[in-house]
Amino acid sequence: MKNTLPGIVGLAMILLAGCSSKSAVSTGDSTGAGAGSGTGSGIESGSGTGSGRGVAGPVLGDIFYDFDSAALSADAQEQLKQNAAWLQKNNASSVTIEGHCDERGTDEYNIALGERRAVSAKEYLGSLGVKGTRLSTVSYGEERPFDQGHNEEAWAKNRRAHFVTK
Amino acid sequence: MTFRKILVAGLSMMLWFQLLMPVLLRAEEIIDVIEISKQASGRISVVLDKTIAKGSKEAEWGQTIDANIKGGLDFTGLFNMMPAPLNIRNAQNGTINFEAIGSVGSDVYVTGTLTRKKGEPYLDMEVYDVTGKQMLKKWYAGQEKQLRPMALQFCADLIELLTGKRSVFGSKIVFVSNRSGAKEIYMCDFDGSNIEQVTSTRSISLTPAVSPDGRYIAWTDYTSGKPDLYIKNLSTKTTAAVRKAGVCIDPGWVPGTDELATTLSIDGDQEIYLIKSDGTVSRRLTRNRGIDVSPTFSPDGSRMAFVSTREGRPQIFIQDMNSGVARRLTFSGNYNTQPSWSPGGDKISYSSLQKNGEINIFTIAPDGSGISQLTSRSRDNEYPSWSPDGSMIVFSSTRQGRRKLFVMNADGTNQRPLLQMEGEQQQPSWSVIK
Repeated sequence: MKNTLPGIVGLAMILLAGCSSKSAVSTGDSTGAGAGSGTGSGIESGSGTGSGRGVAGPVLGDIFYDFDSAALSADAQEQLKQNAAWLQKNNASSVTIEGHCDERGTDEYNIALGERRAVSAKEYLGSLGVKGTRLSTVSYGEERPFDQGHNEEAWAKNRRAHFVTK
Repeated sequence: MTFRKILVAGLSMMLWFQLLMPVLLRAEEIIDVIEISKQASGRISVVLDKTIAKGSKEAEWGQTIDANIKGGLDFTGLFNMMPAPLNIRNAQNGTINFEAIGSVGSDVYVTGTLTRKKGEPYLDMEVYDVTGKQMLKKWYAGQEKQLRPMALQFCADLIELLTGKRSVFGSKIVFVSNRSGAKEIYMCDFDGSNIEQVTSTRSISLTPAVSPDGRYIAWTDYTSGKPDLYIKNLSTKTTAAVRKAGVCIDPGWVPGTDELATTLSIDGDQEIYLIKSDGTVSRRLTRNRGIDVSPTFSPDGSRMAFVSTREGRPQIFIQDMNSGVARRLTFSGNYNTQPSWSPGGDKISYSSLQKNGEINIFTIAPDGSGISQLTSRSRDNEYPSWSPDGSMIVFSSTRQGRRKLFVMNADGTNQRPLLQMEGEQQQPSWSVIK
């Protein structure tokens, strides 16, 4: 069941502040009680110790885009490599990739743009060996912004692909 | 001034009423059509006299008629309305003093009499020019609850008489609002009154579009968890779903047909397809890398304007429906979307995201000439949609903070709110609904 927890995301973002990968905002799934333990790389905690597995849910980092673009930046590709690594370790799970846009531009066009963002992430994960059958996409355009703000700081967070595990 | 006489047969008028109005109004008449010289303001000056009524019930009905005629004419932005001068009627015999009309600068004089026939309101309307020539004499009968449609039918007749064009009266506007907490489709009268909720999906419902014959409404919603297209038959209340892999978004109907164009991504890229009203795919229209979205058609259905990123940024293109050949229409600005082809065929309105961050509404001729900016310095103005008579444009604006619906005359003048409603409103589409 999809249940994004903004508080967890916010905590993860605080923990991630100052880390090298500025785009690696982690988001927790519904089971992610321990999701605050994001590492600098934006992957879930506990994957090395094993002990965290039962506590920390899967945490796949969002990736971010430039305005009116579905192109993958170097940061986005780095995050996708980490997401792919997690998916290969947890090969029973499947993922819905949500494509999102900022509030600028027009709503209808942004649904199409959001789909291109989700598909670009899916294709990159596919190129890293994640089976396409485990990945589905949905575009929300600008209908589900992560940050309700009306400035570049908010917009930058909203131009994203978000990963929801099932 | 030139005069021409038109005799309108009672039968054809009755048919026309049934097309336009939800109630049956009867009329017989001889109309003189007159060309009124518009004033510098571009408006026609009208003296609107108080409806004459004897008896308290009749007087009450008369007030309702007066308020609705005034409201209806005012809404169009075509008129300057003046109260009747005190000496409008000759004191001795009650005849109309036409000199008084001319002396206040008016072009026409409107007067009505309301009586009761078989317990129901019966309205006699007369229109004169300043020389005292009768331009229209017509009666309107209905039930007490039909006073508003009676008044608006007169407004429609008056506008057709003075401008030679059909009016907005009787048309509807469909739109999206999040009033309930979720985005749903709503519908209201041409002037923002009589708001009705159309969908209750509790998901995200977007981009409503009514078919040219008023029988169907199509929209996109997320009921299934992703954006699919739905086409509802408004008379049978049955709904056809277009559920394809990927998106199914932003329908635009083809005039004179039961088909709409919409964007699907079943072939991996966002392309425009023709869909029948039963939800089956008819054929694919575009074939290009990048986004193709937001189709709108010329009145004869021979050309489609749409948004494409085939040359990089989103721009508006026009494609010939027979040959499939497309050419770029917009070259000014980096982000031009939301085209809407005017009912007269001579203009396409669209919105442009400008360098200063504002979104504004423009019009352009289909040959790319005559760009005109209709909104400015009022935050974001989006999603223009023409009234069925081409005289007005409805759009959404954030000029007062939250996104609300506004209307303006087709040249951008007379911008004003359409309705007051909780929450945000967006994506208005002006339609004639049966």
